[in-house]
Amino acid sequence: MSVPPEKYLAEEIKRVFGDRALELKTPRKRRLFVTVGPSDYKEFMKYLAETMRITHISTMTGFDAGGKIEVMPHLFGLGVELTVRTSVPKDKPELESVTDIYPGAVLYEREVHDLLGVIFKGHPDLSRLILPEEWPEGVYPLRKDYKAQQSEPVRKG
Amino acid sequence: MSKFEVPVGPQHPALKEPESFTFVVDGEHIVEVRPRIGYNHRGIEKAAESRTYIQNLYLMERICGICSVAHTTCYAQNVEYLYEKEIPPRAEYIRVIINELNRIHSHLLWLGVAGHEIGFDTLFMYVWRDREHVMDIIEAMTGNRVNYAINTIGGVRRDLTGEAIAKARKVLDILEERTKYYRRVAAAEPSLISRVKGIGILKPSDAVRLCAVGPTLRASAIKSDVRKDDPYSAYEEIPFNAVSYDMCDVFSRVLVRVDETLEAINIIRYCLDHLPNGPVRVKLPRNPPAGEAVSKVEAPRGEDIHYVRSDGTERPARYKVRAPTLGNIPAVCDMLTSKADCNVNIGDIPIVLASIDPCFSCTDRAIKFVDPRKQKEWIWSHEQLERYARRKANP
Amino acid sequence: MKLGVVKWARTKSPWLVHFNTGACNACDIEVLAALTPRYDLERFGAILRGSPRHGDVLVVTGPVTRQVKDRIVRIHEQMPEPKFVVAVGSCSSSGGVFRGCYNVYPGLDSVVPVDAYIGGCPPKPEAIINGVAALLAKIRSG
Repeated sequence: MSVPPEKYLAEEIKRVFGDRALELKTPRKRRLFVTVGPSDYKEFMKYLAETMRITHISTMTGFDAGGKIEVMPHLFGLGVELTVRTSVPKDKPELESVTDIYPGAVLYEREVHDLLGVIFKGHPDLSRLILPEEWPEGVYPLRKDYKAQQSEPVRKG
Repeated sequence: MSKFEVPVGPQHPALKEPESFTFVVDGEHIVEVRPRIGYNHRGIEKAAESRTYIQNLYLMERICGICSVAHTTCYAQNVEYLYEKEIPPRAEYIRVIINELNRIHSHLLWLGVAGHEIGFDTLFMYVWRDREHVMDIIEAMTGNRVNYAINTIGGVRRDLTGEAIAKARKVLDILEERTKYYRRVAAAEPSLISRVKGIGILKPSDAVRLCAVGPTLRASAIKSDVRKDDPYSAYEEIPFNAVSYDMCDVFSRVLVRVDETLEAINIIRYCLDHLPNGPVRVKLPRNPPAGEAVSKVEAPRGEDIHYVRSDGTERPARYKVRAPTLGNIPAVCDMLTSKADCNVNIGDIPIVLASIDPCFSCTDRAIKFVDPRKQKEWIWSHEQLERYARRKANP
Repeated sequence: MKLGVVKWARTKSPWLVHFNTGACNACDIEVLAALTPRYDLERFGAILRGSPRHGDVLVVTGPVTRQVKDRIVRIHEQMPEPKFVVAVGSCSSSGGVFRGCYNVYPGLDSVVPVDAYIGGCPPKPEAIINGVAALLAKIRSG
């Protein structure tokens, strides 16, 4: 009887990272959610890429969780859809970039920066990706305190 | 060198609209590519937080009008994962049928548009005429040509009628014959092949490193397909091939899409032959349980991934979508960058961009060129670039 | 309607210019489908062309995003008189399903004047042809 890939990967991570893997969830087949602290994040991503050879990053989700912002890269490898979760304080939202390990993450980090204001240290180019040039600095639409308003009409319709 | 430097003319001085791409060039050769997207950034993820799960079905369908049902399938699945509920098997098969019909329409649409980019406007007309057969079956099954509203949370909203199924079988035969014809043309027509062979190279190692998806990835010898790697809906039960070619160029991408169209026709036939009996939806409570889920589907353009966070209320706390084209932007920038063993010319831009099958609106934008050596900068519309490319191809 | 415009409309085939202001592409593919043999928009005496400088009728899809607002205004300015604007689809008519979203305007007419609205999400090619033909008939009859 073979071990399902998500359970196997969860066991490996527990073996290598022990308590530094703060939370491990396998809610369904081929799904694994792992939480790590921000200081372990880069090392963990390096382990996934270099030791476990999980090279495909699909995207990164940012989430405003009140006092902190969660950053969640979504990876695929070894038959498992793996979501890594870490978080940074909202008043100092800085996290190490993983673009040196995952070149494919370059636009996803830029997107999280544009819409949520997380600064990825070491990212080659955090300029605007999605929002218009004239969008005000410091206004992050995906933060919970931002109230979406449609643009003001230029003329009467 | 290039006689077509159209400087930023009087109509552009107040150009606040940023370009979709900036190409740093040295004469004809492209040295660096910088992407800048956002033309159809409508703020969907934010909007999703103030709409109910059912309302969001209709929002998600309109992320992209070409892949429409891929997004609603991915979304419905995601929410169904939160409920930890399986939907009836008949609904899964209907989802596969509609998704594969969508793949066929999308690939045929692309083939026509690619034909236009190479200068084969007749191909565009032929292919889009044949594509109308697909639109007919889709309309017979779902009631609409483009946005189908077939998915709901818990299954599908309509069953397939005997009439629609009979019509589909007949049309699939015609489509198969037409697609095989295009396959022969694609593989044998010299004027077509010369425009696409050896252009837009993406090495397998770069495709993996830059996390490309879909036909773009599979045309670089990497046989990765969400329907096989992370099977969803009824795909685990359905025999089919993931199509891959190893020439790593635009030609390879043409062949992948044409062959995928043929595979899709077979998948639909299998589903029609093995359609399980039973209901087409299961009723679910209004609010999903609190939790999170990740859902992936293989849209026509590639891997589509959605993430949902529920707080137990009737609206999602967070809904994240990464549509496939964004996953291919780093790869297309790589394809368009000259390397030691391979120069990329300005004239190649339209066909290489088209080869990753981007949404129209991503490419129908101004493109900026910067030549540091000659100290020149200029902006072209996509149309100007197309004309330039055609002139270069047919001197 | 001024006699000059009516005379103009009766003596030439209007050139249609298509522009996408951030649409999801659904309307755009139905506009293009309207050109293909099954629907054949051209038999109604309209031709789809690229350049706004020679355009007579601007056919617009999409909820106008902030990034393209200046460009659509400028394209409209570049078109010579007489010119007409058709809003294709619910998004350009009112913002559609994106009404209220940050980064979009509430309909094309909040940015440029509109002469005809073709509702639908997306409207079928028949509806698009119907809308354009009705506009042309109206212009021609003064």
